[in-house]
Formats: sequence, C-alpha cells, structure tokens
Amino acid sequence: MSDRNDRWGDLLRRANRGDAAAYARFLTECVPVLRTVVRGRTVDAAEVEDIVQEVLLAVHAKRHTWRESDPVTPWLYAIARYKAVDFARRRRRGGGAPVPIDDLAEVLPGEGSGEIMAARDLARLLAGIDRRAAEIVRAVGIEGQSAGEVGARLGMSEGAVRVAYHRALARLKDMAAPGGRGG
Amino acid sequence: MKTEDLIHLLAAEPAPPPAAPLERRMTAGLCAGLAATLSLFLLAFGTRAGLGAALAQPLVLAKTVLPLALAAVAALLAFRAALPARPAGRAGRAVWAIPAVAAALFGLALVAAAPGERLTLFLGHSIPVCIPAIAILSLPIAAGLLAALRHGAPERPARAGALAGLTAGALAAAVYSTFCTEDSPLFYAVWYSTGILAAAALGALAGARILRW
Repeated sequence: MSDRNDRWGDLLRRANRGDAAAYARFLTECVPVLRTVVRGRTVDAAEVEDIVQEVLLAVHAKRHTWRESDPVTPWLYAIARYKAVDFARRRRRGGGAPVPIDDLAEVLPGEGSGEIMAARDLARLLAGIDRRAAEIVRAVGIEGQSAGEVGARLGMSEGAVRVAYHRALARLKDMAAPGGRGG
Repeated sequence: MKTEDLIHLLAAEPAPPPAAPLERRMTAGLCAGLAATLSLFLLAFGTRAGLGAALAQPLVLAKTVLPLALAAVAALLAFRAALPARPAGRAGRAVWAIPAVAAALFGLALVAAAPGERLTLFLGHSIPVCIPAIAILSLPIAAGLLAALRHGAPERPARAGALAGLTAGALAAAVYSTFCTEDSPLFYAVWYSTGILAAAALGALAGARILRW
C-alpha cells in the first residue's frame, strides 16, 4: 500500500511539473482503484464508469490541492467518495435517469428516436452553458469540425478543445435529466 | 467516451499554470475582507473613548484577544477543510480551549458579582446592536474567504463554509470589541459567542451552495 503511495506520489509530482507521460500513467493506474471505490457507493452499476470519468475530471481540475508531502491514496479516495456521493445527490434532485446521450453526433435532430432532444430543446440547453463551451459543442458535435480546426480558431490546443467538449457534454447530460437544473 | 480516451485527452493538456497556492488566496481574501470590515466599522461605530486604558484591564483585553485567537485557529481549520483528506489535526481539539476559557471567565464573573447585579450585567444594554453588528461585520471577511476556498476541494462544503464563517465572525467580534463598552464576561462570553455562531451558520449555508465542485 505504501509502495503504491510512493509510486503514485512520484508520478503525480512529475505530472504537476509537466510530465505528460507520468500523468497518463498515474491516471491509468488509478482507474481500477477508483472503480472499486465508486462501485461501493453506487447503486446502479451502469453509472460506475460515468462517475469514474467525473472523478478523473475532478482529479484533473483539483490536482493542485495535493500537497507533495501528503500521501496520494487518501487524497484520491476523498475525491472519489465526494464525486460518487455528489453524483447520487444530483440524480436524486434530477428525479430520474439522465437522457442517455453518449455523443451529440448520434442524437442530432432528424434521427427519429424517442430519446432524442428536439433541435429547440438542444438550443435551449446550449443557451444554458457558457458561450465558449456552447460554441465548441456546436462546432465539433453538430457541424463536425475537427478539434484542431476549432482549436486554431479559438486559440486553444486540440486537447483543450476535446476536454472542454467532453465537459460540456457532461453538463448538458446533467441538465437534460427530467426535472434537472437546465430544464 | 471511453475512459482511456479521456485519460489521453487529460494527459495532453499542458501542466497546470503555477496557480497561487490556497494559503495565499485565503490570506488575500481575508485581508481584503478585513479592510472592508474595518472601513464599515469605523464608519458605523469607531473605537471607544479610552480604549487604551480599558485594554489594560485583563477582562477587557480578553474580550479582544479571545476572538482573535479563535480566528487564528478557525482559519487554519478552514484551510485544512478545503483540501481533500487533510486531517484537522491538533487544531481541531485545540479550538475548544477558547470557549472553555470564555466559560471559565463567565463562571468567575458570576461568582464575583453581587446577586443583584448578575442579571443586569448579563443583559447589558446593547444586545440588539452587538449581535447584528458582529454578524454584518463578518460578511466581507467571509466573502473573501469563501471566494478563496472555491479554489480548493472541500470534502464537506458546508463544514468548510462554517469554518470560514467562524473565522470571519471571530475577527468581526474582535474588531467590534474595540467599540463595545460592555466589559463583563457575563455579557460578552454569551452574546459575542452568539454573534460568532450566527456568522458560522451563515458561512455553512453559503458553503453548502457555493463550495461544491
């Protein structure tokens, strides 16, 4: 256990100083452990992977809160626990399963299916997130531009565009839940 | 999206910019809030006449020093509450020393006062001013601290907010104490505590909303 702590601590320390390979290794090694933590707190097995991805996003956003003198594992577990509980809380508030949107490209208006949002609803949801995120979603998800093109236009790296896209999708999914915040 | 793909994307982002550490943000927020509180205080109240002489008496000095000590410990606890898996440490137990001292002073004053005086001293003449003043003076400081804490990742947002409110309330009480002329612990041990706890409650309510992440 302390072996893993040391290894992860080293990886995360290097990652915070710009070592992308160390960061990728760290995240990859974390995932099985995160799955276990999340599974223990989630009723619906289908949601585990979604929550794990949210935990990864949270780790990414809050990695500056890890002090290099502290052990990594408790820090990681704390984030996983928080996100698992938070997810369940948001679901309870939303009052039902979120609309299963995996990728906006698959649910564009015009592909008849009961689970699709109308163009009107989509526009309304997009209005509920910040302008840059909405623009990225429109450009990448609807108009099918590549992340590189969008990045060049907005002055962001291709990776940053993709991450922003994924985050925006997660938020839209959340908002689209019946009775959810975006409605 | 598949988890491996997400990992690739996250790893491709450049390293985090050297963000201001949480301690620095909290200090900045607290100072900015304190500046606003002091301005508000000087406009509305100003310090009492003969403050120096009053502070020479230990029981009056305690009225300022105890809240200051509480603010220092509460600020440390708030900082620790903002980082995941940071234990409160000894500070979490040490903080109880302050209400204990206040209670002891209250007991001493109760015994020292003549039975007829006790109620008068306890009620004082400024409860309707004291409690709202402490609560309102705490707001700018709480706002500054909460703004800083949003850059953390508190496992329990309401608790982190409460600690921020506690810090703000204690500082506000210390500031207010330089105006207030109620010098008996029978008054201030109770009513200052009430004001401070009100500030903590406000902090908890705010934290539950704005410290989520």
